Amino acid sequence: MSNKYVEMGMRSPVNLTWEVTLACNLRCSHCLSSSGEKACNELTTAEALDLVEQLHTAGVFQVNFGGGEPFIRPDFEEILAACHSHGIMTCISTNGTLFTPELVSRLSRNRLVAIQVSMDGAKRETCDAIRGAGVFDAAIAAVKLLAATKIPTSINTVLTTQNADEIPAMHEMARSLGVSLRVSRFRPSGRGADNWESLRPSPAQLLGFSDWLASSGDVRTGDSFFSLTSQERQGLGLNLCGAAKLTCCVSPTGHMYPCAFLQTDRFEAGDLRRNSFQEIWDGSEIYESFRNLRIHSCEECQRFDQCHGGCPAVAWHLKNDINGGDPECLERCVTSIADNRLAEAA
Amino acid sequence: MKSSQSTESAGFTRMAAAGIKLHPSCRARQERFGLLFYDCRGPRLLFAATGTLIPADFFGTVRRRDEFPAGVSESQKMALNKFVTQLLEKGFLHEQ
Repeated sequence: MSNKYVEMGMRSPVNLTWEVTLACNLRCSHCLSSSGEKACNELTTAEALDLVEQLHTAGVFQVNFGGGEPFIRPDFEEILAACHSHGIMTCISTNGTLFTPELVSRLSRNRLVAIQVSMDGAKRETCDAIRGAGVFDAAIAAVKLLAATKIPTSINTVLTTQNADEIPAMHEMARSLGVSLRVSRFRPSGRGADNWESLRPSPAQLLGFSDWLASSGDVRTGDSFFSLTSQERQGLGLNLCGAAKLTCCVSPTGHMYPCAFLQTDRFEAGDLRRNSFQEIWDGSEIYESFRNLRIHSCEECQRFDQCHGGCPAVAWHLKNDINGGDPECLERCVTSIADNRLAEAA
Repeated sequence: MKSSQSTESAGFTRMAAAGIKLHPSCRARQERFGLLFYDCRGPRLLFAATGTLIPADFFGTVRRRDEFPAGVSESQKMALNKFVTQLLEKGFLHEQ
């Protein structure tokens, strides 16, 4: 990862998260955006298609669709097709419960789509405790449909204290289904904030996961776990927060944010109904502040070059301070465990 | 690449007839420093300080291995040749 070039500023995001709707047929307890009911005033089809044109003009390489459940939007395939007509790559994060052979057949006609099916445990009871009854089986059925096509497919798992011990089994399950495993970081936003204490992995679990990742090079983490990246995985992803530098987030109502985990008024970068995508990317003060963000309190840390202070969103949600450094970084996990042992010994 | 000059030359000769093109999983665009390559299979990024030597869409069509934009000097061609080798090795370009 060449920070020198990133710091020069990109003309547009490399990729972005677009939450196309808040509507969801599930109520997952860790949902980052508290999805459920459709938001008031979500972008219309015409507005969404106009945004695709703007993303194409801006040179955005990839759109990562999320929500809500994207396939609840009746025009979602139209939005996808518009992206693909411009050569924009797409990745869809879905709960998989709405998949049919016909839908998968339509999706498989295009080589520019990848799909992540969310699952939260290798055991039915673990997954369904977080995502709802019957979801494990529905997601497995969707993965099987997808695995029979050429669509790059992964199972996406949010690491929680409940499923931390099942991650190797999920890796094996993904392999046996012919797909890959992607593990995302649990962050305290949306319903994830409400259920933070009951779902957050312990420092020992995070350290264990970091060790396991080091020997599991085929497991993807997106940009979730650079704060835990071991020496062995350097070069596999980012070593800094890419928000407002390489990526950003568009909400269902057309508001732009640095990332999906900071969709609050405090971090609103702009409104696509008032300004163009490029104007917001170039001119937002919020984005500028993220581009200039330096976590000075972490600069003395031996791991600073590996994470540059970690995830500002986690720092914000837990400490109300994006400058404070990631409270759950690898170094702090080690310190936390050592402190606890000292306390127990005393 | 640590191969010797003669090996590089041999490789160059061997590949000269083959066409090269941006891999279907990859994209490129112009940035201030040069070209930014994106590979959605990782995803991976490659930052190439090429300035404006190569247009972003240059590898969007099949090119000969030794084909470069008009106006490129001989010394620049040597540098670009190494760059193309790197892009091939990293999978951003593929042979057709």
